[in-house]
Amino acid sequence: MPIRVRLDRILLERRMSLTELADRVGVTIANLSILKTGKARAVRFSTLDALCRELECQPGDLVEFEPGPPMDPEDEDEP
Amino acid sequence: MRALGPGSVSSFLKIILDVAQVALSIGLGVVTTLGLAALLFHFDPKIVFQDADFSTADAASARRIIAGGLLIGAIYIGGVLVIVGRLRRIFSTLTAGDPFHPDNVRRLRTIGMVLAVLEILRYPIMLITVWLAPEVMEKSGFSLNLTTWFAVLVVFVLAEVFREGARLRREAELTI
Repeated sequence: MPIRVRLDRILLERRMSLTELADRVGVTIANLSILKTGKARAVRFSTLDALCRELECQPGDLVEFEPGPPMDPEDEDEP
Repeated sequence: MRALGPGSVSSFLKIILDVAQVALSIGLGVVTTLGLAALLFHFDPKIVFQDADFSTADAASARRIIAGGLLIGAIYIGGVLVIVGRLRRIFSTLTAGDPFHPDNVRRLRTIGMVLAVLEILRYPIMLITVWLAPEVMEKSGFSLNLTTWFAVLVVFVLAEVFREGARLRREAELTI
């Protein structure tokens, strides 16, 4: 997927654990793991707002675009 | 009254389907046993055709017709059993409040295919019946059941609706 989430890098820079971030933003660790590993399909503005607030960063610091083939929605849908 | 979840209409229908599955399983066992017994053992066909007067040769072919009829009946009951089994599993997910479970798409497609196969099987059976026992077909008549084909198409469309629902559910699960 061309959109890469850089949550692990920012957490490392802030010396913050995923558990602590989950507590602060009110998102489960499981969901933050999905986001961190790049498996998420979408991010709510409310989640982005909470992440940027707690990590003191901009949305652009959390995600970056890497040129590559677009993801195939059909492949992603298969259980 | 709620349509989904525990204690809803779905759970009531699931109980009915549970009972139907048990009854069909017993019916399948009985009809298959009778069919095999009719095929293997010698019996008087007047048990079934009470008014008929059979010669020895007619009696043998009557026994084969009875055995064939019972085995075809067993195939039909087997098909209905598959449909009821899949419906039971679909209603289990409805009772659990999870209608767009990804497996429901495959279950609905199976139901549609079994319905279509049972309807397709009906035509050669009707032709064989016309050939072997024309008096039976005079009573029931040769018919193209449009209602069944309509039901088959509706089930396949519903399967696609459920596929879309499952896709949206997965997308919602992966929205953070």
